[in-house]
Amino acid sequence: MLKPGDPAPDFDLPSAVAGRATRTRLRDLKNELVVLFFYPHDFSFVCPTEVTGFNHALADFKAEQSAVLGASVDSVDSHIRWAEELGGIGYPLLADEGGKLARAFGVLDDKEPVALRATFILDSKRAVAYALASPFNVGRSISETLRVVRAIRTGHLCPADWEPGVAFGPNELKY
Amino acid sequence: MQDGVLTTAGVLFGLSGAVSDRSQVILAALASTAAGALSMAAGAYLGTRAEAEVLQGELERTRKQARERPYIVQEGLLRELAKEGLDREAAYRVVKLLSVSPRALLTTAEQKMYGYGGGMMGNAALDGLVMGVAFVAGALFPLVPFFLIPSKDLGLAAALGATALALFSVGYFQGWLAHSGQRWRCGVRFVTIAIGAAVAGYLIGMAISPLGASAG
Repeated sequence: MLKPGDPAPDFDLPSAVAGRATRTRLRDLKNELVVLFFYPHDFSFVCPTEVTGFNHALADFKAEQSAVLGASVDSVDSHIRWAEELGGIGYPLLADEGGKLARAFGVLDDKEPVALRATFILDSKRAVAYALASPFNVGRSISETLRVVRAIRTGHLCPADWEPGVAFGPNELKY
Repeated sequence: MQDGVLTTAGVLFGLSGAVSDRSQVILAALASTAAGALSMAAGAYLGTRAEAEVLQGELERTRKQARERPYIVQEGLLRELAKEGLDREAAYRVVKLLSVSPRALLTTAEQKMYGYGGGMMGNAALDGLVMGVAFVAGALFPLVPFFLIPSKDLGLAAALGATALALFSVGYFQGWLAHSGQRWRCGVRFVTIAIGAAVAGYLIGMAISPLGASAG
């Protein structure tokens, strides 16, 4: 699994955005940060809360100059139908059929084979700034991801559980 | 039932080879029948009860999970349906449809995920009783002719005939239940095994009879 500081692999994948098929290239994203989250499968009773949760918070991420991308090993058609089932998803769902991207990020579970529940935040140079993997049956916290995005964007040392409005730590200290 | 037939026939033939007193053979066969019936009944009772307790525990765990975290049951059922050939989306839609009725979801999940079907919880007491009675019923086939015919040799021959007939009937009935086209072969197989057991028992009795004489 890639760790903070590692360069993110570039990708150019078919994707579903707002009910239509398109392609998403990492290099074309102009946002300051990119939140890329992997999930195991479309049409699951466990994943939807994450996929819809990121969608509900999409405006907040955009306000932080951050793009949100979801990725699973399902096809674009599957993503389109899944997004429709969920009431519409406003960010790209990448069709990582074969799991090449998940493997490149080191989060492909070869047994299934599907991606682990992993989240990466890529910085402006498209290096990994933050990486997290969660068990299959535990959904991730969207608000925590947003908190980390905000913390990264400050460029300051942020203490544990830092929230906007809370004082930063002195730069000479390490947490 | 065939256990009762075989065990009792084995005791009759084995003891007949070792003991000359017919009443001793009958007494031993009766004791063997009683012990065998009780043993089989107790085994069936305990086995069914243990199985029912394990099944009950699993069912309660699944029901609790379905109440508290239905998505786990839904996901488990989805995976089972996918394993059976439905594509993931179709499986998802089937499970979602079933989820309209929590009872339908739970019943289907129990069947698909754990292999439970309605009525699988056995009645331990009834199973024990049936097993014990079946054992005694089987034992009567070799025992009654031997008991009724005063001549030991004729009694043994009649017991052998009754044993063969009983086992053939059981084998034939089993073939009929299985819709087998080879019901006669099933019957003959049972008889062959019975005669083999009887002959082996008789020969073992003959072989150990000198030990009984020297001990007396």
